[in-house]
Amino acid sequence: MAKEECKALLDALNKTTACYHHLVLTVGGSADSQNLREELQKTRQKARELAVTTGARLTVALRDRSLAAEDRAEFERLWVAFSGCLDLLEADMQRALALGAAFPLHTPLRPLVRTGVAGDSSRVAARALSARSLRHQAERDFDVSDLKELEREVLQVGEMINDMEMKVNVPRWTVQARQTAGAELQSSISVGASSAGGMSVEERPRSCDPGKALAATLFSAVLLAAVALAFSVAKLG
Amino acid sequence: MAASPAPCGGRPREQRLYLRKMERMVVSMQDPDQGVRTRSQRLLITVIPHAVTGGDVVEWLVRKFCISEEGEGRPAPRLGRVDPAKHSLLPPQRPYTWAACWRNTATYTRCTPYFWTSTLWPPAELDYAIYLAKKNMRKQGALVNHEKEHYDQLHKKINHTWDLVVMQAREQLRAAKQRRKGDRLVIACQEQTYWLVNRPPVSPCAMRVGLGRCGSATCPFQTQSLDFYKQEIERSRKALGRTRVKSSICLEAFLMFSHQRGPHDPILAGCLPSNPWITDDEAYWSANAPMVAVPTKPRVERWGFSFQELLDDPMGRVHFMDFLQKEFSAENLSFWEACEELRFGGQAQIPTLVDTVYQQFLAPGAAQWVNIDSRTMERTLEGLRQPHRYVLDDAQLHIYMLMKKDSYPRFLKSDMYKGLLAEAVVPLETKRRVFPFVRKPRLSSPCPALPPISGEPTAAGSPAGGDGES
Repeated sequence: MAKEECKALLDALNKTTACYHHLVLTVGGSADSQNLREELQKTRQKARELAVTTGARLTVALRDRSLAAEDRAEFERLWVAFSGCLDLLEADMQRALALGAAFPLHTPLRPLVRTGVAGDSSRVAARALSARSLRHQAERDFDVSDLKELEREVLQVGEMINDMEMKVNVPRWTVQARQTAGAELQSSISVGASSAGGMSVEERPRSCDPGKALAATLFSAVLLAAVALAFSVAKLG
Repeated sequence: MAASPAPCGGRPREQRLYLRKMERMVVSMQDPDQGVRTRSQRLLITVIPHAVTGGDVVEWLVRKFCISEEGEGRPAPRLGRVDPAKHSLLPPQRPYTWAACWRNTATYTRCTPYFWTSTLWPPAELDYAIYLAKKNMRKQGALVNHEKEHYDQLHKKINHTWDLVVMQAREQLRAAKQRRKGDRLVIACQEQTYWLVNRPPVSPCAMRVGLGRCGSATCPFQTQSLDFYKQEIERSRKALGRTRVKSSICLEAFLMFSHQRGPHDPILAGCLPSNPWITDDEAYWSANAPMVAVPTKPRVERWGFSFQELLDDPMGRVHFMDFLQKEFSAENLSFWEACEELRFGGQAQIPTLVDTVYQQFLAPGAAQWVNIDSRTMERTLEGLRQPHRYVLDDAQLHIYMLMKKDSYPRFLKSDMYKGLLAEAVVPLETKRRVFPFVRKPRLSSPCPALPPISGEPTAAGSPAGGDGES
């Protein structure tokens, strides 16, 4: 069904936008690196592809005049969410451009700001691309060449938004959102319900925190030692 | 929006400069030799690198800017101006009290450039809504008061995109879970500080003005001083008393004006003998010269339209003077002319001119004594003590109205005027040439756009050359 398909695509786009946002947050900071820029680029491409597909489907659906009223309302709702998502994506892309230009990686006129974020973000990107892991394979001056790409893509996204607004006329004030004011609290814990694709398996919060692992091994070692000691004491005594 | 690396407007330029200086300072803080001492902060098991304590930062600032210690060793007032935490450049790590920014043991980290006020566009409502939804989810509904208010307001305002808000909030939290706990904490703290700065709980006007943002809630009304309100009342009262004309009356007057003046307009109704700009015939100008022996008929007709027209035209004035002399009230017009001279004359001549006018027109028993009513006369004589350009304005107006109401209608009805009308010349239209393409001799000098031909002196070129070049 077209509606379910559109909804699934929108969810995927939403996820990718969220991951992109998260990646852009750390540009210029201490976690910035070649890998991060590469991840940004891959996420961005995926987001754009999804956006184009979703946009095409939704446009086709909304331009169909023979649509029933509830169907139309549903599509309009999806449309509003989609255009909002696209706006967020465009804004994040522009910020990525500005920050990427202000903090070039290999010629530090401005050294990266030590923000206290130290880990890497490959898992975020992997989540965005619905892949298990990510291979980094970029050349040295990737960030500089990527900026031009990014500039072009920002313009393209802007054009896409304009185009869509021209083709489909959805008055925002008539759209009624499904979710109520506290809706996010209901299913905040449940994780796998609405995500698209096979990422539900990966979503268990996996904390490969070295500190925790160390503490766990120490504790188990101490426990084993205590048990062994007790045994020997028992044996002796 | 153009995709360019430069941030677009939204912040005034002086503020951007100031923000850039602060950012440079923050970046210099992290210099390994000269910067602030960083340490790793431990929160139970998680480690947060690059943390600085408040005390260290204060010390570094004191050292760098050589600020002397005042009072009991706390250079707080001076430093209060330079407050990176206020601009979300240095968000504090642990739950903090916003008031005590410079507590010695509180730890701070530098904010990621994404949240720096100079690079970011003004914060959008959608972003704020997503942030509040995330916070709601994390804290299981326990939002602070002002945040709850904002949440409700936003829910009403951008209700149509609320689906997107909830979806994005959920996804962003899930994306954040893919990072280390330490990173998650740091980013969450920085975001929190950013939103606290940009949507502060209590709205001190100074802070809003300082950040230059267009706030969502209305700025509280600033009470002004008593004088301001008094002036406002005065101004409104004066505005009430202004004369207003109904637009219907105004438009009627305009229609009448156009109707009356239509035939006299050289562009609308054509000018006789011919338009000099087209036919190069200057008869029109010479016929309508300011002082000409026999004025043209349209001109004489115009004297009948209004008194001001008559007075503006030099010939009209002359004839009116003649008429007044016959009626033995010529001193009025002379007085009026003298007043005009005073108003528009040179500043240095004012005292002498005022004296002359007084001697001639206003002194009791003067040669040409004008008949002004007593009140105006008193006021004028008062003003004559300190003569200035406009001291005779009242008297002039009185005389003007007198002439307008009394002498002018009589002038229009008089035989003199009728005689003038009869004598007035109606210039004949110039005959059209039989061969329209024959070039007429032009009197103008050679065209300045063309460069003068070398060897030909330009002085000699004008009349003779003009003929030859046509």
